Amino acid sequence: MPSLFRRKRLMIVLMGFIILVVLIGFSIRDRDNLSTPEKFLQDTVGWMQTIIQQPLSFVENTSNNVQNMFQVYEQNQVLRERLSEYKGVIEDNQRLEGENQELRETIGKTEALSDYSPIQATVIARSSDRWFEQMTINRGEEHGVEKDMAVMTSDGLIGKIKSAGAFHSTVQLLSGFDQSSKISSWVVREDDDEAFGLIEGYDTKSGRLLLEGIKLDETIEEGDTVVSSGLGGVFPSNLRIGTVEEVENDQFGLTKTAYVEPFADLFDINHVMVVERTMETVDNSTMNEGDGS
Amino acid sequence: MRRYYIALLSLFLLVFQGMAMSLLPANLVYSDLLITPHWVLVLLLLTAIFYDREDTYVAVVYAIIFGLLIDVVYTGILGVYMITYTLIAYTIFRMNKWLVSNFLGTFLLVVIGIVLADTMLYMVYSFVQVTEMTWGEYALFRLLPTLAANMIFFVVLYPLVKGKLEKWSSER
Repeated sequence: MPSLFRRKRLMIVLMGFIILVVLIGFSIRDRDNLSTPEKFLQDTVGWMQTIIQQPLSFVENTSNNVQNMFQVYEQNQVLRERLSEYKGVIEDNQRLEGENQELRETIGKTEALSDYSPIQATVIARSSDRWFEQMTINRGEEHGVEKDMAVMTSDGLIGKIKSAGAFHSTVQLLSGFDQSSKISSWVVREDDDEAFGLIEGYDTKSGRLLLEGIKLDETIEEGDTVVSSGLGGVFPSNLRIGTVEEVENDQFGLTKTAYVEPFADLFDINHVMVVERTMETVDNSTMNEGDGS
Repeated sequence: MRRYYIALLSLFLLVFQGMAMSLLPANLVYSDLLITPHWVLVLLLLTAIFYDREDTYVAVVYAIIFGLLIDVVYTGILGVYMITYTLIAYTIFRMNKWLVSNFLGTFLLVVIGIVLADTMLYMVYSFVQVTEMTWGEYALFRLLPTLAANMIFFVVLYPLVKGKLEKWSSER
């Protein structure tokens, strides 16, 4: 019965197409939580990766250590010179911190937007598809990780938590940011107050972040530092993001757009910190850092 | 029983696909060329060619399972890899009859499979706006490097699994 067989095949193709559309529709919307089977699968694969990674990272670390040993003498020389400078800075820092705390206590405000507690994590895998700039880390909800938290290395911000499983979570890197993930930020200037702007995406061609919505009358120079403002509701303030490389007026001429070169290397990442803000986060989806719509 | 070995190997490749991206030297993996490993697909195509008989659909069934797993673990958009891998595994399974199953014939089939699969992924992902590349950019920066990298993997994998797959196929 060839006609029946052909009809069956057509049915299967149609079913497949419907399933594809339904699944894409289900998963592409901005979900707050992963479904349980997804979490389960993610954790299962995550554990396998963790197990395989142990011996591999041991080998990698050992070879790195050997390489480092050859440079120890030179580094030591440079560091010793710097050490005396730092002593002064540390004393200054301690004094200022004490002063800051005292002032805070006098006005009865003990928590600051910049306070956070870090959750240390190791990168165990990256998405194999390069169009998805995301990676898996070995900390999840059990360790306190939640959706939309900031993720950084010692150099600076690298992304935010896209979805959290029970023991592993997925990080959306800055290079994968689009219109729907905004970070409210400040441009720190030497001789002026901070200028406000929103990080609204990533320019893949030049590899820089787009800082938009800066007022026209603000003067911003190349080399100014960009930090998070903490006003978005989820990120703490003062996380280092990058330096301004180029400023231009936006297409309507109403605001300015700055191109920001991220401090952190977005490719060679091994250890990261998930940043949990100490101050209460604003759990309102319209105020959320994740979707600023 | 033998087919579970293939499942185990696929799972292993799937796990390694993501780890390779973070373990291999950054300047190799993260140049302007968007190299994407399709290791699971290569193994599934070899299964379709050497393991499956006329009436068995092991490669197609595994394509559904591991495609979905890739979607869940690495992309977060469900269904895309699943449908693509399934369709390609079935197509190659059907085309297998026309070509001789020696190294060159298999090479050709895997090339066709990878090109079709990656192009299909590009079409779906550009439709849902995951990527905004043009066709020209895509062909130059993603399709060709991806094809080259996966064919290198194929050349390594072929001698390792061909004999095993044929043996398992006849042992059933």
